[in-house]
Amino acid sequence: MQDLIYQMKVKKGSFVIEGLENVQINIGKITAEEEQVVEGPTPRPEIISLRNWDYRLLDRYNPVYTPTSDMCDYCTYGKCDLTGNKEGACGIDLEGQSARQALMTSVMGAACHSAHGRHLLHYLIKKYGEDHPIDVGPSNLKAPLTETIMGIQPQTIGDFLPVLEYVEEQLTQLLAAANTGQEGSSRDFESKALHAGMLDLLGMEVADIIQISCMGLPKSDEKTPMAEIGMGILDPKKPVVICVGHNIAAPAYILDYMDKNGQFDKIEIAGLCCTAQDMTRYNRNAKIIGSMSKELKYIRSGIPDVLVTDEQCVRADILKEAKKLHIPVIATNEKITYGLPDRSNDSVDEIIDDLVSGKQDGALLLDLEKVGELIPKLAMKIGPIRKAKGLTALPNEEDFKKLVAKCTKCLQCTRDCPQSLPIGDAMAAAAGGDLVPFEILHDKCVGCGRCDFSCPVDIPVLNVIEKAAQRVIREEKGKMRIGRGQIGDPEIREEGRNLVLGTTPGVLAFVGCGNYPDGTKDVYDIVEEMIQRSYIIISSGCAAMDIGMYKDKEGKTLYERYPGRFIKGNLLNTGSCVSNAHIAATTIKVASIFAGRKTKGNWEEIADYVLNRIGAVGIAWGAYSQKAFAIATGCNRLGIPVVAGPHGTKYRRAFIGKPYRKDDWNVLDGRDGSVVNVEPAPEHLMITAETKEELMPLLAKMCFRPSDNSLGRAIKLTHYIELSEKYLKKMPDDWHVYVRSEQDIPVAKREPLMKLLEERGWKIDWEKKKITEGPLRKVDVSFQPTNVPRLCKEVKK
Amino acid sequence: MTKIAQAVKREKMAGKPSEKNVEKPVEKNLEKPSEMPSGKEEVKPAAEKVIDTTRSAVPFDTANIPGPKMARAVMPAVPGKMLARAKRPLLIVGSEVHDTDVLARAVAIGKTGIQIAAVGNAYTSLGDKGLDVHYINMHALASYLCDPNWKGLDGKGGYDLVVFFGITYYYVSQAISALKNFSNIKVISIDKYYHPNADMSFGNLKDDVFIAALDEVIKELPKR
Ligand code: SF4
Ligand code: SF4
Repeated sequence: MQDLIYQMKVKKGSFVIEGLENVQINIGKITAEEEQVVEGPTPRPEIISLRNWDYRLLDRYNPVYTPTSDMCDYCTYGKCDLTGNKEGACGIDLEGQSARQALMTSVMGAACHSAHGRHLLHYLIKKYGEDHPIDVGPSNLKAPLTETIMGIQPQTIGDFLPVLEYVEEQLTQLLAAANTGQEGSSRDFESKALHAGMLDLLGMEVADIIQISCMGLPKSDEKTPMAEIGMGILDPKKPVVICVGHNIAAPAYILDYMDKNGQFDKIEIAGLCCTAQDMTRYNRNAKIIGSMSKELKYIRSGIPDVLVTDEQCVRADILKEAKKLHIPVIATNEKITYGLPDRSNDSVDEIIDDLVSGKQDGALLLDLEKVGELIPKLAMKIGPIRKAKGLTALPNEEDFKKLVAKCTKCLQCTRDCPQSLPIGDAMAAAAGGDLVPFEILHDKCVGCGRCDFSCPVDIPVLNVIEKAAQRVIREEKGKMRIGRGQIGDPEIREEGRNLVLGTTPGVLAFVGCGNYPDGTKDVYDIVEEMIQRSYIIISSGCAAMDIGMYKDKEGKTLYERYPGRFIKGNLLNTGSCVSNAHIAATTIKVASIFAGRKTKGNWEEIADYVLNRIGAVGIAWGAYSQKAFAIATGCNRLGIPVVAGPHGTKYRRAFIGKPYRKDDWNVLDGRDGSVVNVEPAPEHLMITAETKEELMPLLAKMCFRPSDNSLGRAIKLTHYIELSEKYLKKMPDDWHVYVRSEQDIPVAKREPLMKLLEERGWKIDWEKKKITEGPLRKVDVSFQPTNVPRLCKEVKK
Repeated sequence: MTKIAQAVKREKMAGKPSEKNVEKPVEKNLEKPSEMPSGKEEVKPAAEKVIDTTRSAVPFDTANIPGPKMARAVMPAVPGKMLARAKRPLLIVGSEVHDTDVLARAVAIGKTGIQIAAVGNAYTSLGDKGLDVHYINMHALASYLCDPNWKGLDGKGGYDLVVFFGITYYYVSQAISALKNFSNIKVISIDKYYHPNADMSFGNLKDDVFIAALDEVIKELPKR
């Protein structure tokens, strides 16, 4: 049944009705002219509106819990020992508690992105007004997630007000469910976590669309210019401003001020983490240092003269670290204030004096106009003073030698290091004059600083690593194509068919943070391998930056080698963390534009389409944050599987399919409701891999979908087999499961592979070169795979 | 998983004293003490003199303290004997198996007929050694091992003992936390690190002690 929503939207103002001159009518909102048709059954879904869809996912992709703690200490009944899935005092068992953690993590991440969106919306409405139109580029489907979840088509930034109100209300409900004495079922905790993940995608979409629309960020632009990236790109002789975090509001004022005053040749300005992405989208003069993993390293180098923080991915010790090197910290967002004095009402000159003199270590400054003026002035003043003093945390040559000689190889730092890096060995090598082990270690080190706290002989380990790696750091100069925003409708029209039929082997979305298991270079290697195989590579956030950090023999980065259109063999950067929304939304666009599926309020049908037909996989190889978990969970609810790096097991919950349980892989044929047992595709919804060699064939496998046509399946199978042979030195054990007919087998290998099938007991008619018996099912080009009974035309009994 | 987890919970709790109060909780978990040697006391004094794998039995990653139940530190003969007696044991090795000395021990164990799950990229070093070795993803393997209906890597039945080494420390530690809490399978680490989430583990070992310990394990295995 279709619902009609008559949207009442009005411009703010007052008016007087003729004849009633004494009566003035004040209007907060004006009615909208247009009528919007909700096309699906779940506009503004409540907590349990999509529970049936979640159950379908959870029944096939069972939650797998890998607790980091076997205890619960959420309430004063505890601590409770839940080892072996025992119950705690409140009745929750370890499975329930683990699922509750998943919910909390998802809610935290969703809250983070939505609050970011809320901050931006306040600020942009104040600056541009509620009626500022949405403009994201050449798209009719401007806000795919908003449409699919809310059932509305927003036209102005003010239209996002009810969207964020909805997200905030739902998140409050979800958080309430995590209180002791509320939800107890792990399955329902997971359904709620999936709901939070979906809200996360929505919050991100709002945040990015409004900044694209108001701030002139690229609009579906496949040819954005390149930005410089790396720890070696800045001229340390100039005053250096570093913005840390995710929210462009404050950095935008700084960039505007510098632009107006022609200061880009006098001051270096760059960002760390996603703020950097958005700064380059906003102003081409901004540069990028790198991900959060570079934060402590760069601060300790002493190069920054001023640190500006906004929100998310800012180290909790940033003020402490900066203070040691007399780098003032200006906090510009209420969420991160570090106990700094609120100087929002003081004059810029007064604040500068206090910071330069060292009277104060930093300031909270919520007046962004003032931030814009203060930062460049402060940098010009304090820069020369700091540089004259040569402030850095890194030891000089002489101290370096003494420090490395002190190491007793006790291994304590290795035991505290999240990467278990062989620091003692590198110390020994450095003592003998060989810095190469430290240079290698520098790339694998995530810059957490834990090792500093472990060393019993007080070696400042991270500083030693950084000192030893100066040669490679100086060469750290890459290029990243600036964030493009959404994928435009014309690109979807061009590529959608290839994706659904499988002739483009898949979309691989590299997202998330820099907590890589074995160094940043792995991401480059993985992307290079997969893009050469014609996968579409979409990236965002820190992963997008890290992809641009390395060069080939000709000195070219991957962004310089591969164009940025949404077609096979291209490399796209959508933008910052909140631009992740566009990656997920691309699948909705394919369902809508290519397949004509209705979107408004129609989550389940869209997600079902994505799960069964679009070979898109998310890769969060270095994910560390709750936000990354929320994004992954949101993608999962939309039918997009995600693979994380090995650290991802510390998220404590995965969704893993069991291919040996045949009934789990029954789907319905939408044409008549008949049950079809299909190959496990996609095999998992969220899983981890130990190494990049394991990851690559897994990615190829995760791109299989029941809807692949034979040509597409053969292409996907080629990559799966080749990647497995190349990186795992074996034919995959389950390749045959994905063969439905001889047409599915890559032509070049058809005969030998058919021989292998015969050895497995399959019947082959060698004269006709046909498989006559063996496959799970036949290829059927008109097959309409679905997991949702109501979507079948005629349900078979 | 709910049903499985409930069954596990019932089984783990049935007829057992509160695990909260026992001093050596891991020993309580040994359901068949007669079949499962209980540690140091069973090891020949000569071997004990040479290596002691029960020292430094603290989580290798300092903060990896899961809760009141942590692995019992054992001498190599214990896993050796348990492997020898198990009806259907599984050895899991991962991306840290490639070192020549370590690999040789994995191969030696495999040669005794014990099936090997090669996780991560381990298969690249093991695939051509004529062993009963299968590639599988560690996270998926942990999930399947929690399912009593899983028929194993070769479809011939589930496992009664899982032994592992040579896998990224934190990764396998997390994976086996699923087995610890949601399965009845006995898990032993014979890695060079103390693994609190296993039922039994060596302490943190130096490389040479680790290799010697693996040799001690291998000594207990029947030759084929
Ligand atoms: S700073 Fe680097 S070396 Fe030190 S503990 Fe963290 S990751 Fe390991
Ligand atoms: S903790 Fe200190 S002494 Fe020990 S290995 Fe590390 S750097 Fe050397």
